[in-house]
Formats: sequence, structure tokens, C-alpha cells
Amino acid sequence: MFHRFFRHIKEGFIGVGRHFGMAISSASAVMITLVLIAVFVILTWNIQTVTSTIESSISIVASIDYEAESESSRSNIETAIKAIPGIDTVEFRDKDEEFTYYAEMQGEEERDFYEQYRSSNPFHDVFLVSVEDGLDIQEITSQIATINGVYGVYDGGTNTYTLVSLFANIRIFGGALVIALCLLATYLVYNTIKITIASRKDEIWIMRNVGAKNGYIRAPFLVEGVIIGGLGSLIPIILTIVLYYLMYDNLGGSLFGAFTLVEPFPFILYVALGLFVTGIGVGFIGSYISVCKYLRLRR
Amino acid sequence: MISIKNVSKTYHNGTHALYDINLEIQDSEFVYIVGPTGSGKSTLIKLLDGEEIPSKGEVIVQGIDVGKLKHSKVPLYRRNIGVVFQDYRLLPRKTAFENVAYALEVVDAPKDELRKRVREVLKLVDISDKSNAFPSELSGGQQQRVAIARAIANRPKILIADEPTGNLDPKKSDEIIRLLEKINREEKTTILIVTHDIEIVRHHPKRMIAIDNGHVVADLAEGGN
Repeated sequence: MFHRFFRHIKEGFIGVGRHFGMAISSASAVMITLVLIAVFVILTWNIQTVTSTIESSISIVASIDYEAESESSRSNIETAIKAIPGIDTVEFRDKDEEFTYYAEMQGEEERDFYEQYRSSNPFHDVFLVSVEDGLDIQEITSQIATINGVYGVYDGGTNTYTLVSLFANIRIFGGALVIALCLLATYLVYNTIKITIASRKDEIWIMRNVGAKNGYIRAPFLVEGVIIGGLGSLIPIILTIVLYYLMYDNLGGSLFGAFTLVEPFPFILYVALGLFVTGIGVGFIGSYISVCKYLRLRR
Repeated sequence: MISIKNVSKTYHNGTHALYDINLEIQDSEFVYIVGPTGSGKSTLIKLLDGEEIPSKGEVIVQGIDVGKLKHSKVPLYRRNIGVVFQDYRLLPRKTAFENVAYALEVVDAPKDELRKRVREVLKLVDISDKSNAFPSELSGGQQQRVAIARAIANRPKILIADEPTGNLDPKKSDEIIRLLEKINREEKTTILIVTHDIEIVRHHPKRMIAIDNGHVVADLAEGGN
């Protein structure tokens, strides 16, 4: 059993050696797609981090009617808000704190000006509601507005909705692109193995003729595909690690001073591992499809 | 035993290769299948080794309905059948010994047994002295011997030889047929020789089945009756 396993591995390496030029050209094609995959993964991951920070800071402000300021109606409102699906946290801030919050946003002079009105504070008590998924914000806002005792709801309006859906689209686009690139890499390996098989047709024919099972014929080609994919992932892995560290250090960990970049460790190791697994995976799948297609045509 | 019942074969492109063939071949028989090019001989071989499925009728070999075999079971079935071709089809980068050993490696034979059996069959086909030679260093007749050794290494019940002497001169052809007779005798293997070389049949008379245009036109027992 082990003997046979190692024979397949050996045959796979011999196969790569035999078609070394082709293996290298295919590995470099895989390499290029993996570099692109790395770039997009790093980009989307960083965008994801930035957007989720922004998203989590988006909150709905629900102000409470002056008539509903009693302890019991306040807790009724809170329960009602918490009952809405998709709510993350609900935080209470009374009108006095609201007054201070807004006064502190003003300059020194205006603050003094505001302070004289503190006794006749026009602010409402509020609930600060944050949501789990930014895309639900509009829906949740309108639901909160219908709760008895809620005076008004503010969530930033159209700007917030646009921003949130833009973030979502960027994520979907990045994900789709990565999947498309994986498929492309698989196709490249598929083609290489197809040519390899064509050049070893006689050998496969003999194998079949002496009664080799399909798995036996398939194994060395799968090893070959995995080697090609693995080889193709080496340079992208090194590039990703080195360049990301360099970029992170040179930019001081943030982009335009506003967006914090994801820390290289352990993030970049995950990316590297992902690239390796992707390389091997596309190599395996590509050659598997290729060999199966060839074998299915023959009995 | 091989039993071919009402077998017809039509290829996807519409070519009719065989029409309603009926044949029975007993264990350990030695049979020639003769016929001109395009008569359907090759199709008959492909039906026997499971490469093609009959359009009608059934092909039963050692109790197995070959046409109904699942794709994944064909390899296991094929271990019952050795096939030898006119162009030998040896692996050029392997020695004679390795070529024969290959057939046994594929079926996962234990190493010791494998070496023993390879030596045994190389001796049987009388090419032990060339066991370390590559195919390119061997003559046509020697290569065919290696191919025969490979085909019988797994002790198949049936050995099919498709024009085994097609590329050989009369003397070498004669040797190959003698070798096949010896295998038939010593290993009790059923031998099917497909040929259009009538000289061979004359010098080594055996049962002869003649095929023409997809029909069996004659089935003569040994001696031509």
C-alpha cells in the first residue's frame, strides 16, 4: 500500500521532469493568477476591515417622546427595540448627556452660550441602536419609528444607505473576482495535464490493457497537478509576505492616515496558507477533471 | 469459455462492423480468426476485451457479460485477458524486464512474486538473456516475445493476438506461433490469433473462423473440416 503510494508520488515527479518546460509554463500561469488572487484578497480584506469599522460606528438614534420619559415606558421602548431582529446593541443616553454631547462638539465660546440653556434642555432622551448588518439599517429604522413613545428616528439617511451598499458591493465584487481567478487557474492546470496525457497516451493505453484501475492511472497525474499548483504558489507566497510587510512598514500601518491596514501578523500568514492551498487545490482539481474526461471516453 | 450470441455492432458514425455473430470458444482452445482488412476482426477483439459494447446480443467471457460491465469494472475484467498487437506497444524507456514487471505492478503483485513471475515468463518466451535490453535494442521478433510475456504475466485465461506476425518475416512468424502454441500447452491459456496470413494457418493448422463483411463465413475445425 505504502509502496504503491510512494510509486505514484515518484511517477508524478518523473512526469513533471519529463514535461519540465510545460510544467514550468503552467506553474507560471498559475503563479500569475495567484498573485492577482493575493492582491484582491489583501485588498478586499482591508476594505472589509475598514468598512466593518465604519459600519459598526453607524448607529440609529431613536429619541423618546417627552411624555414617555418615565422609567416604565422607557423600558417598554427598549424591550420593543431589542425585539426587532438584527439589532446588535441598544444604549440609553438621557437628555442631559445628550446636551453635553452636543455642547462638546461646539467651540469654546458657543459651549458657554449653550450652557445657559441647560436648565431648559430641549433635547430628548435617546436610545443609540447599532445593527448587525449595515444593509438592514433602513428597514430597522422604519420599524423603530413605529414603536409607541418614539419621537423621532435618525440614521443619517440616504448617505448611509449608499455607503453601506457600496461596501457590500465591493465585498461581493472582490469575492467574485477571486472565485473567477481560481477557476481560471484550474483551467490552466487542466489544459497542461490534457497535453501531458496526450503525450502519454500509449502508456495509459498499456496500463488499461494490462488491467490498471482508473484510480491507478489517475494518481500520477494528480500528483503532477498538485506539484504544478504547489510550484506556482511558491513565488506568490514569498511576494505576498515580503511586499505586504514592506508596504505596511512604509505606510506606517495606515492608508492616507485614515484607514488602518490589517496587521501583517498573522493575517499575511493566513493569506500565504490560503495561496498554497489554492495552488494545490486548483492543481488537483484541474488534473482530476482532465484525467477523468480522458478516461471516461475509453473503456 | 467465450460465448458470443447474436452480436451485432454498429458504430456511432453508422458503420456496421458485425452482423448477428454467433461463436463459442472452449477453454484452452487455439483459434485463428481470419479475414481481410475491414472485415470486423478488430471490432470482435474490442468486444472481447471490453473496449466496445455490442449494439445487439451478448458477449459472455468466463461467465461475465462483457457489454454490461460498468466502466469502473472493465479494468478488473481485463486482467482475465492478455492482448498482443502487431506493433508490440512496449514502453520505450523501460527494459524488457521492466516492461513485463509493469503489468504486474499495475495489479499490485507483491515484489518477490513479481520478480519470480517476470523471470518465469521471460524464460517461457525464451528471452531471458535480453531482460535488461531496451525495446530499441531488440529485433521485431524479440520485441513481440516481450509483448507476449507481458500479456501472459498476469496468467490471463485468454490471450488475444492481433496480427502478431504482421511485422515479421516468415521464419520469425513461425517462431512466434510456436511460442503461442507452447503457452497454450503449458499455461492452458485460450489463444485467439487474428491474422490475414494464411501461410501461418496452413503450417499450424487449428480451428479457423473466417470473417468477411461482418459475417462469419466459415468455422472450420482443425484440419479444415
